[in-house]
Amino acid sequence: MLAAFLPLLTFFISLFVPVKPAGKGAAAIFNIGLSLILSGALFLKVWNQQSFHFRIEWVTIGDFTLYTGILLNNLSVLMMLLVSGIALLVHVYSTKYMQGDPYLHRYWAYLGLFCFAMLGLVIADNLLLMYMAWELVGFSSYLLIGFWFTRHTAVLANKKAFIVNRIGDLGFLIGIMITLTQFHTLDLTELFGSNGLVANAVVKGGMWQSQAGMMPAGWLTAAGIAFFLGAVAKSAQFPLHTWLPDAMEGPTSVSSLIHAATMVAAGVFLLARIYPLFGDDVLLIIAITGAFTAFMAATIALVQNDIKRILAFSTISQLGFMMLAMGTGAQAAGLFHLVTHAFFKCLLFLAAGAVIHEMAHVKDKQGIAFDPQDIRLMGGLRKRMPVTFATMVIASLALTGLPLMSGYLSKDSILINAFEWAEGHSGLAKLIPYSALLTSWLTAFYISRLIFKVFFGELRLEQELLVHVHIHEAPSAMKYVLVVLAVFCFFPAFSLNPFLFEDAWILKGFPVTDSMTRVNLFHTIIPLAVNLIAMLLIFIAWLWYGKQQRKPDFSASGLFRFAEGQWYIDQFYTNVLVSGFVSVSRLVYRFDRVVVDGLVNIFARAAKALSVMAAWTDRNIVDRIVNGAAYLTGQGGRFFGHFQTGRLQHYFVTMLLVVLAFFIYKYYSGTI
Amino acid sequence: MSLLSTLIFLPLLAGVLILVMPSAWQSRFKYVALGTIVIQIVLSAFMYMNFNADLAGVSDQNKFQLVERLPWISIDLGGLGKLQIDYFLGIDGFSMPLLVLTSIVMLVAVLASWEIKTNLKGYFALFLLLDTAVMGVFSSLDFFLFYIFYELMLLPLYFLIGMWGGVRREYAAIKFFLYTLLGSVFMLLVIIGLYFSVTDPKTGSHTFNMLAMMDPANYTAGSIFSVVSKQMLLGVPARLLGFIVLFVAFAIKVPVVPLHTWLPDAHVEAPTPVSIILAGILLKIGGYGILRICFSIFPDAAVQSSWWLGLIGVVSILYGGLNALAQTDLKRLIAYSSVSHMGFVLLGIASVTPEGISGGMMQMISHGFLSSMLFFLVGVLYSRVHDRQIPNFRGLALLMPKYTAFVMIGFFASLGLPGFSAFIAEAFSLIGAFTSENVNGFLPRWMAVCGSVGILLSAGYLLWTLQRMFFGETRLMGGEEWKLALTDVNPREVIALSVLAFLGVLLGVMPSLAFEKMNSAVLELIRLVNPQ
Amino acid sequence: MIPLSHFMIISAALFCIGLYAVLSKRSAIMILIGIEFMLNAAILNFVAFSRYDKFAAGGQTFALFAIVLAAAAVAVALAIILNVYGYYKTIDPTQIDQLRD
Repeated sequence: MLAAFLPLLTFFISLFVPVKPAGKGAAAIFNIGLSLILSGALFLKVWNQQSFHFRIEWVTIGDFTLYTGILLNNLSVLMMLLVSGIALLVHVYSTKYMQGDPYLHRYWAYLGLFCFAMLGLVIADNLLLMYMAWELVGFSSYLLIGFWFTRHTAVLANKKAFIVNRIGDLGFLIGIMITLTQFHTLDLTELFGSNGLVANAVVKGGMWQSQAGMMPAGWLTAAGIAFFLGAVAKSAQFPLHTWLPDAMEGPTSVSSLIHAATMVAAGVFLLARIYPLFGDDVLLIIAITGAFTAFMAATIALVQNDIKRILAFSTISQLGFMMLAMGTGAQAAGLFHLVTHAFFKCLLFLAAGAVIHEMAHVKDKQGIAFDPQDIRLMGGLRKRMPVTFATMVIASLALTGLPLMSGYLSKDSILINAFEWAEGHSGLAKLIPYSALLTSWLTAFYISRLIFKVFFGELRLEQELLVHVHIHEAPSAMKYVLVVLAVFCFFPAFSLNPFLFEDAWILKGFPVTDSMTRVNLFHTIIPLAVNLIAMLLIFIAWLWYGKQQRKPDFSASGLFRFAEGQWYIDQFYTNVLVSGFVSVSRLVYRFDRVVVDGLVNIFARAAKALSVMAAWTDRNIVDRIVNGAAYLTGQGGRFFGHFQTGRLQHYFVTMLLVVLAFFIYKYYSGTI
Repeated sequence: MSLLSTLIFLPLLAGVLILVMPSAWQSRFKYVALGTIVIQIVLSAFMYMNFNADLAGVSDQNKFQLVERLPWISIDLGGLGKLQIDYFLGIDGFSMPLLVLTSIVMLVAVLASWEIKTNLKGYFALFLLLDTAVMGVFSSLDFFLFYIFYELMLLPLYFLIGMWGGVRREYAAIKFFLYTLLGSVFMLLVIIGLYFSVTDPKTGSHTFNMLAMMDPANYTAGSIFSVVSKQMLLGVPARLLGFIVLFVAFAIKVPVVPLHTWLPDAHVEAPTPVSIILAGILLKIGGYGILRICFSIFPDAAVQSSWWLGLIGVVSILYGGLNALAQTDLKRLIAYSSVSHMGFVLLGIASVTPEGISGGMMQMISHGFLSSMLFFLVGVLYSRVHDRQIPNFRGLALLMPKYTAFVMIGFFASLGLPGFSAFIAEAFSLIGAFTSENVNGFLPRWMAVCGSVGILLSAGYLLWTLQRMFFGETRLMGGEEWKLALTDVNPREVIALSVLAFLGVLLGVMPSLAFEKMNSAVLELIRLVNPQ
Repeated sequence: MIPLSHFMIISAALFCIGLYAVLSKRSAIMILIGIEFMLNAAILNFVAFSRYDKFAAGGQTFALFAIVLAAAAVAVALAIILNVYGYYKTIDPTQIDQLRD
């Protein structure tokens, strides 16, 4: 647990302790290093041995008590080791890469927050805690993408990243609600452990029944899709992948840590954690999504010119592979690829970062405006940055999946599993392994295009801008990080047998859920097919981009533009969904002002009109009556006042008349 | 004099003190107010510490705490029986957290009152009167007393908005006043109806005692609101009608769509401290009233209408969120976000599940802190340049880094980032609403699913605002003049904001601090509403 | 024997003369005299009717009583007239009309 909280300490130290940036960097590295050591110790203790579960009471609501705690099993210690290891390397790398940035303390703080959240995510023992860490990871990613907040594109990108991730979070939350309702617990072990609640729940007669409750069977699928939606957003799968290329606006070190190695893998991790929940239909959806995303992203990566964007789409594509593995039941293979991918993609990004660093350096020094990430301006860097070149090539080979490399093992395991899985399925599912195969060839082509364009030929910047530039090797802190990572791209780190993925130790750490029969044919044909054609493609790429020989010009073709426009998905979102949403909201606001508030105002006006009428009535009728009565009284008074002359004799006359009248009356009335 | 009475009448005393102080001491009024509220905080903290979480309250006087019951008005009306109104106070798990919330929000409001420059004597006197009224509302258990405090609240607010407000302050003040009054007038009818239906089992006379109203046995046979006799009124069951009338009265306060339109106007025109009080406390009176009065006195009607309540909650969440997205005035945006956030309260309450009601209560507390924080932040900006149109600002992060940090905390907290109280509150409200179909069948599951989209919307409008106002290169409509005026937050503001941010985080990390205190009350209420 | 009607005719004549004086004279003294006339007309009637009451002679007695009272009343009235004169410098009743509205 301490391992997870150390980076949080970094966060606070960096924010609140007034030390100069270098000191903070050192503190951050120390903390994450300590985390790594602790993770290593835990790894040795837990891996393939007893899992460790510790929890405390957190909240009691009603009769329901929510516990919180940590769960260490194979999956979490592996991820811990991976996260803290790569984080340490990136920390070291950052000391040079980010040197001189005026907001460096924020950088260390955010990085610390991220590591805390990521470690928290992998060791959380219940879904709610995991969700919290999940969102915190997204939040720190938001902060880091928008690290250079004065750049307009950066803040647009981080907003997009967070909101798109929020869509996924929504799915996660709905999944949690369904799980909690159905099982009355969120504890991972209780839910998904062997013989856990999920395993014991059955679908019977259209109802999904567990010990704690039941609901219509549709909700089981809904839960699976909801959790998968979370994973889709976090792991940048179609259709929620658009945030990841934009997220490249953040510092490259961040891209490598968060958007290549760790955070984006969290979706895959989530799927692995809750694997028993998925039914066959959901798994099929996962597989199709993964395969489609892998293919789509690979085609886009073929034609991009921004070095980081190519890598970003490559990441999306590789994540698609992992999803595919998950969907085809090869949970272990997916995780294996997650680990190998983390190393080589991190390396690719860091090496690209080194290149960008130098190019940006040139840009600052020469004072000329150009895009330091554009591969069309690079070239020939092989001689100037030999270490970077070498490490990047190693990583590319691993990505392509050539033998002796780690990628070979993991990618082949996925492919072969997919083929084996397709044996048992029909229809669209048959296409999945073939599309994956195609994707892996595309991978070989786009990454070699990148390598050849950047490192071979002549520096096109000099030719285009007519300047002489000095580009040299990256600083040593960066260089050694690259080398360390490169070591992990080779097979021995994962398996002693370079050709047979089944020997990989990671695969043995996870339950193998294959009911599929091992088809030996696949185990030889597929690697062979992959590698032969991949090498052929690399050769073509060398001819076209390395040797600068004439190459067919595709740039006018519709497919090219379609890919270059990133399948126009992003445009669709911006132009249709986002603006649609905003105009709907404006409409709603108009509605609110005009109709709802209008009603209130009409009500007020009606009341006012009524009151005017009432006032008129009051003045002209009610008051008239009152005044009339008063007037009559006054007139009467005035009339009778005339009798009051004040003269005695008049009074006497009156008295006489009255008496006379009385007598007359009495006389005629008969009686006296 | 006991604790609750002290809590209620201390501000009134201080207000009188301010009134008799000579006007020459104007500059000291705020310190008097501040001191009063600090004492109040100490008292309420003491109350919180000594609160016995095992006593449920809700409908049993013996399970209330700090009970004060003095006969107040007792007149023999001959044929109409005896009029009995008690000075009856007490707290349980629902009112105690809100009392604590009130005293803290009042502190922030006082700190925000530093910006008020005119007619300080009247201002602080009214302010403290308002404080008294609010405290009274939260702790009275006699319906008549409740109503008095409830109406007493309107008066100072009307003047505070109408005299110290913005350009269209008269319109806003009158709209606010009439809107609320409309609700409470009808409430009075129901109160009287209840009075004639309920007899105190001990004295045999009619009573305004809320707790007596909660027991079906106390209703006179054949009376209008009697549970047994099922009277009809205008073709609607009388109890349902009574529930609806009371609900509308409180729903105006909450506010729910479509009774919300007073809120944006009142917020936009009100001075910052009043906005803080409005959002931080007054909206909670609506939710509190629904729990304490609507649900407890008319449980049968509540069960019947819970589907509609849930629907109104969901509509409020989505409608408020969409409206917020369309705003260009920062304060109006936050006002609409309040509508959206208070929708969660209603949704949670309507589910009548422990998670839902606790979540709703938590949302009230959390929204109390966070909306106060947001309005305070708007006030900081407005006090510097007298403008709060979002398009007029850009890149404030460079000019005011600390301010931006607080804004980010406030925004992310209220969009429900884990680690902040709003997350816990919203998550549990939604979970409650979702489980409802399994537990009691009141709300369908799609309501929770639709409600959760509100979380997405809140991320949308808050982040968009953040991007538009705070990030990018600095560009201001007022040019250099604004640049000079926009200084970073000062220590007073830092204190106020830190208190709120700290509480938001504290409740987010240790939600049991609040849940634990209200748990037994929540369970008791559920037992009352839905005995199973 | 003189019939009763003669007495009554004289009495009515006296009353009418008195009434005329009261209503038409412009001097308070003359009005007073008119009042005396009317009073004496009434006394005359008392005396005349007393012949039906020979033993108790109530009419005679009452006539005497009335004469004494009239004398006292005249004294008071004259005093009032004197005071009125002192105040208004006139005893013409048409001039003294302050009670008019």
